[in-house]
Amino acid sequence: MASTVGESVTTSAPSQAEPVPSRRPRGNPWRRPYAMEGFTWLYIVWSIVPIAIAVLFSFNKGASQATWQGFSTKWYVGNQVTSVLHNPSLHQAVIQTIVLAVLTTLICVPIGVGFAIGIDRWRTRTANGLNVVMIFSFVIPELLLAVALFLLVTQALTFIKLGTPAEVAGLVVWNISWPAIIVRARLVSIGRTYEEAACDLGASRLGAIWRVLIPLLAPAIFASAVLVFASTVDDFVIVEQLSSTSNTQPMSVLIYSNVHAGLSGPALNALATIMLVLSLVAALIGYVGYRWMSRGERTKGGADALTGIAGI
Amino acid sequence: MSGGHVKLESLTKRFGDVTAVNEISVEIQAGEFFSVLGPSGCGKTTTLRMVAGFEPPTSGKILLDGTDVGSWAPHRRNVNTVFQSYALFPFLTVAENVAFGMKYRSVPKSERDSRVAEALEMVQLSGYENRRPNQLSGGQQQRVALARALVLRPSVLLLDEPLGALDAKLRRTLQVELGALQKQVGITFLYVTHDQEEALTMSDRLAVMNHGRVAQLGTPEEVYNEPADAYVADFLGVSNLMDARVEKSGNGQGPCRLRLGDFTLEAQAGQLDATGDVKLAIRPERIHLRPYESSGVNCVPGMVERLVFLGSTTHIYVRLATGSALQTLVRNEGEAVPYTQGTPVSVDLPPDALRVLPDPGVSVTEIHDETLGDQPLDLTGSVQATG
Repeated sequence: MASTVGESVTTSAPSQAEPVPSRRPRGNPWRRPYAMEGFTWLYIVWSIVPIAIAVLFSFNKGASQATWQGFSTKWYVGNQVTSVLHNPSLHQAVIQTIVLAVLTTLICVPIGVGFAIGIDRWRTRTANGLNVVMIFSFVIPELLLAVALFLLVTQALTFIKLGTPAEVAGLVVWNISWPAIIVRARLVSIGRTYEEAACDLGASRLGAIWRVLIPLLAPAIFASAVLVFASTVDDFVIVEQLSSTSNTQPMSVLIYSNVHAGLSGPALNALATIMLVLSLVAALIGYVGYRWMSRGERTKGGADALTGIAGI
Repeated sequence: MSGGHVKLESLTKRFGDVTAVNEISVEIQAGEFFSVLGPSGCGKTTTLRMVAGFEPPTSGKILLDGTDVGSWAPHRRNVNTVFQSYALFPFLTVAENVAFGMKYRSVPKSERDSRVAEALEMVQLSGYENRRPNQLSGGQQQRVALARALVLRPSVLLLDEPLGALDAKLRRTLQVELGALQKQVGITFLYVTHDQEEALTMSDRLAVMNHGRVAQLGTPEEVYNEPADAYVADFLGVSNLMDARVEKSGNGQGPCRLRLGDFTLEAQAGQLDATGDVKLAIRPERIHLRPYESSGVNCVPGMVERLVFLGSTTHIYVRLATGSALQTLVRNEGEAVPYTQGTPVSVDLPPDALRVLPDPGVSVTEIHDETLGDQPLDLTGSVQATG
């Protein structure tokens, strides 16, 4: 038997020498895509290196923006005059940014959630139209809205004073689409069955919303809150237009006006770094929190947490 | 909770121009296991949703123990629903899910835990109290949904295709359990399904629905053995339907004589006093295959077209000389089936098994296509999808 097997192997050998297809594929189709990988890395370096350098020089011992003179945190806390901690205009800017972000998030998210639920229940042509309005803030130029709001609060609604009240009002208007769109997307994916189940078990309509719908929406509400927070920290155009005195200038406006006036220095780098860290921490909390809150949903994975936050 | 008598009076539901439920009147006795059977879009789920309170009826009455609850909100009705998708709250544990409704039923706090334990024991899920729904299998989630509804001791339990999402084997097991559970708790079950096997095995009585109307209402035996029309015969199991013409009506006790192609048949079941064009129905298990050219009453020559081995039985598709295709089956008892494709046979259609049914006016294949592929009328589905 063994010999026959051996024979069959040897007889099959010539088949390997059969004429190959006339057109060989070029190269190995399964090799690593070096060109694509290289381009990706190029992009990452291009976008991250300038930021990394700016962050690095906020820790420079000297005042130079070009030569590294050793590590120090003097521009954050050490320097008695110009550090973020000791320069009143700089640390006021940090506080103002945080105040604006917290206030905007607290006002914007409940309104946006209410809007999303309302639109979902209303279900008429008007409601669909209003839903399109929500996308406006992604489409219209921010400067246009900022100027319009400036005119509105200085000419018509003068009871909203320039400064923190006007800034918060503007930021709420600009950011309300985050909760409205993200929460509505989740509402659509949840469907009505859970609420019906709650009503079936004895809950009133409001009770069902409170005991079942809100907990189910929690991941989306949380994700949108984080996005509103991060987006408020980053905002420049609206707050620049609606701030009044230097006391109501958040970090972004302060950095811009100083750099514009040629007053750049490591302390401003330190301020920018704080701004960056605030946004990054918010995003990180958002990602982890969303995953934790939606852990009870079998089919949801990490990718879904990301798309959930992005509102897709 | 006692009671559980349900009476639907001319219940109608329209969505725009489409009538999903058309003047159905059904009376369900307290403690009965009642099934509503029909293809998707026949209005069965809409009917159930009206009883639950999720859809207001367009007209008609829903009497629950004599009270018209048609305009009541769902939470005021003493009925509970087991949803097809289970709808367990993912952020609550099994025990919290089961306890959810008791908050609204003035059940003393001390009693709640014991009732949760009791309900979970009833569905054989003791020990799973602290799990989350996503840690359970589909069958277990289904049991939690049952426990969550039963713990409230409703007078009527509504079940919307509760076994639809489970695999075939588990479905069989749960069918038996569900039937036993219903007998144990004595609550009226209103069970909606498109699966004729479920409806036949579990129900005390069932209603077959078609296009928003009740096509037939009766016990499983009645509906299966004595289908009222070709639609019911066709929907409930495999039914062989043939177009025939009455030659001589069977007045009184006598059989009805019919013409099928070149052959004359006798039928002793169904509407024996029918005239003109009718449908003839016979169940596959009542057809006997005999050697070719056997003689006898109702023996029609035919030819084996196809054999399908199904494990315990083999289905044999036979083409009669008249052109009609029939399905029959033989039990596999260890011997080889003595037929192959093309074997000429004599097909014996016993007169007492041959039913005369009124011709609905369309060909049988048309009915079949309409009932199975009728997407625009799938209202129940679309309502759930948008809702």
